[in-house]
Amino acid sequence: MAKNILLTAVGGQGLVLATGILAEVALRSGLDVKTNDVIGLSQRGGKIMGSVRMGEKIYSPNIAPKEGDILIAFEALEAKRMLPYMKEGGVIIKNNYEMVPSLVQQEKTEYDPDIDSLLTGKGEVISLDATAVAKRIGHPAVANILMLGIAARYLEIDDAIWHQVIRENVPEKSIEMNIEAFDLGKAGTY
Amino acid sequence: MERKVITGNQAIARGFYEAGGRVAASYPGSPTVELLEAIQAYPEIYAEFSTNEKVALEVAIGGSIGGVRSLTSMKHVGVNIAMDPLMTFTQTVINGGFVLVSGDDPGMSSSQNEQDNRILGKFANMPILDPSDAQEAKDFTKLAFELSETYLRPVMLRITSRLCHSRSIVTLDEPQAPVYKPFVPDIAKYCMLPPYTYEAQHRMRDKVAELAQSAGQMEINRLEHRTDDVLIITSGLMYQNLKSVTDDISVYKLGMVYPLPIEYIRELSEKYRRIIVLEEMMPFIEDELKINRIACEGKNLFSFTGELNIEDIEMGLIEGGVIKDSKYAQLSALETTERAPLFCSGCPHRPVFDILKKSKAIVIGDIGCYSMGLIYPFEVLKTNISMGASVGMVKGMRKAMDMNGDHQPLVAVIGDGTFFHSGLSGFANLKYQMNDEENITYLVLDNSTTAMTGGQPTSSSNKMDGAGQDILIDDVLQSMGFHDIVRVDQFQYKEAAKTIGDAIKRPGIKVIITTRPCALHFKIREPHFYVDPTICIACRSCVRTNCPPLRMKQYDNIGLKSSIDPDQCVGCSICAQVCPVNAIKRFGSETQGGSNG
Repeated sequence: MAKNILLTAVGGQGLVLATGILAEVALRSGLDVKTNDVIGLSQRGGKIMGSVRMGEKIYSPNIAPKEGDILIAFEALEAKRMLPYMKEGGVIIKNNYEMVPSLVQQEKTEYDPDIDSLLTGKGEVISLDATAVAKRIGHPAVANILMLGIAARYLEIDDAIWHQVIRENVPEKSIEMNIEAFDLGKAGTY
Repeated sequence: MERKVITGNQAIARGFYEAGGRVAASYPGSPTVELLEAIQAYPEIYAEFSTNEKVALEVAIGGSIGGVRSLTSMKHVGVNIAMDPLMTFTQTVINGGFVLVSGDDPGMSSSQNEQDNRILGKFANMPILDPSDAQEAKDFTKLAFELSETYLRPVMLRITSRLCHSRSIVTLDEPQAPVYKPFVPDIAKYCMLPPYTYEAQHRMRDKVAELAQSAGQMEINRLEHRTDDVLIITSGLMYQNLKSVTDDISVYKLGMVYPLPIEYIRELSEKYRRIIVLEEMMPFIEDELKINRIACEGKNLFSFTGELNIEDIEMGLIEGGVIKDSKYAQLSALETTERAPLFCSGCPHRPVFDILKKSKAIVIGDIGCYSMGLIYPFEVLKTNISMGASVGMVKGMRKAMDMNGDHQPLVAVIGDGTFFHSGLSGFANLKYQMNDEENITYLVLDNSTTAMTGGQPTSSSNKMDGAGQDILIDDVLQSMGFHDIVRVDQFQYKEAAKTIGDAIKRPGIKVIITTRPCALHFKIREPHFYVDPTICIACRSCVRTNCPPLRMKQYDNIGLKSSIDPDQCVGCSICAQVCPVNAIKRFGSETQGGSNG
């Protein structure tokens, strides 16, 4: 199995953790793996992206334009920004939760209205309000693990490996909540 | 053997541990912040965040002379701060192995410039190693200590931001037992004054030349022969990116980029029809070859700035006629609303910049989270140069303006981390050169942490964890002789605005210390606020504070009014305090907002 996975978010949404979990499950499935986390100026509020490449032999951690198999977008506008990196027919998992950039907040421009129409026909698109589902599970912060659960449907990796790696990487008091989020995402029963 | 998937930074930390390293020092700066934090996880090692890079380098120099393997890490511009001790230490004979890790930032994802520190490594007569993934980052760290002790030189391990944060699989090894080499005083080795410096010049040159001689046989400099047509000479991540483009071209992968095995490369240049150098930023390897009269290409095909990604390398090779068919698309970006970074919800800098924006004063900036005060929508800061520069700059600007009859107030800002990093000597100067007629207002934004790099301690931040080793900024400035010093709680918006506004009008040097800690690092979370749309007059005073949860929203039957996303609000109360009609209230509270006690 060779997969190029892109992740995108606004700082503070748990992207680095998600990238780390993807890397670890790939390693434990016997694959080669390399990742990037591109973190800009600020911890919070800026756009950030990650990439995970897994397969038999991986050289560069970078994903070239139109080479992405799966896009996990924790924020809707950031999904649009990453579209040029996706293959035709790829899998796009998008959180509909909106975080407004300063330009939108200050009413200089609209929050891009064309995101859903741009995604249509690009491949398999799974849109959900992951933040709302995560709040129902117990905390908005588990939206990232919920979305990893959805991505797991497209990766041939045992649930046992996922569960173990999640247990080892999330705060102890939120382990059960995160496992539940993963399972709901994987089963699609959120 | 245990295999783990770790970042380049973590791999260097592991390599230091496996090499038996014992003293490490750093100043936090992206992309190498996490390196020292990872070293701190090994209790055998002494690892400190020092007050600046010069001090960090000096602590590591002391570790080396004191007899243990020592490492210092810093971002590329940090090496500038440390250049003074480095340029003389490099003349000495190291005792314990010494490695300087320089985190370069091609593409400037989090830096104010793009300087290529290979130049500085050469300038300092240091061998430079350039790993291409996490495994090499670990292996090269261990090799760097061996080279350091064999050739008696400090060694530079140069790593780029991409690789610092990139994870890949690393095989862990057992740590070596550290070797303690007791300090033996030796004036010729450690005391760099003439005549001892005369010999040092020869020693530096000879050791680098010796290393260049053996570089052709080093395993980390590896020839991967394919055809006799083109040979690409490359190093670091560029090797991995190139391999993602093609495996059909001959490659000479350098693990050590200085000194180069020039004679070996000269032999190669006779075997191959063309030599192409692939490197990010400056033509460093290319220039080394050219000054040694080895014909090559490089920057005619690849950009001198920014990162060289897979598709950029492919395009350069197509332009150069090396490959014909394109596998990769060039990026055709979709026009998407820009998302600039902004102050966090509850950030203590927000009310300060809201007040300064309304003051219309000229504000001199410095380096830290508060540098974001220069971007839209605040656009308050008018300069941004380097750590601590605001303190000296404000003096020179004041002089230049006053001598031309321009007496409008000048304000400058500095954070607590930057104050201790390199602001102190500027303040000493400011006091010594003080003129009571000059109008300068200095805001020290003390948030008790080095916030931008993820919340490392500063010299004033121990007050938050009770260790009692903190230095109070007011005490320091009082001792220097500044007398117009006020502390303000910027979450008491109106009082803070009055204090700052009054100070700006007074002549002399006024220092205002803002005291609220970083909302993110100290995880400040109070019950959130909400907007009562029936009271809101849509004046946008709150929205202009640029707090992430605030947004104008269309309410049914009421119209366009302000709103607050409860998931993002941490309850700092600033929006409620700037609201002229008390439309913003704290959730679960009958009383209206107004203060956050």
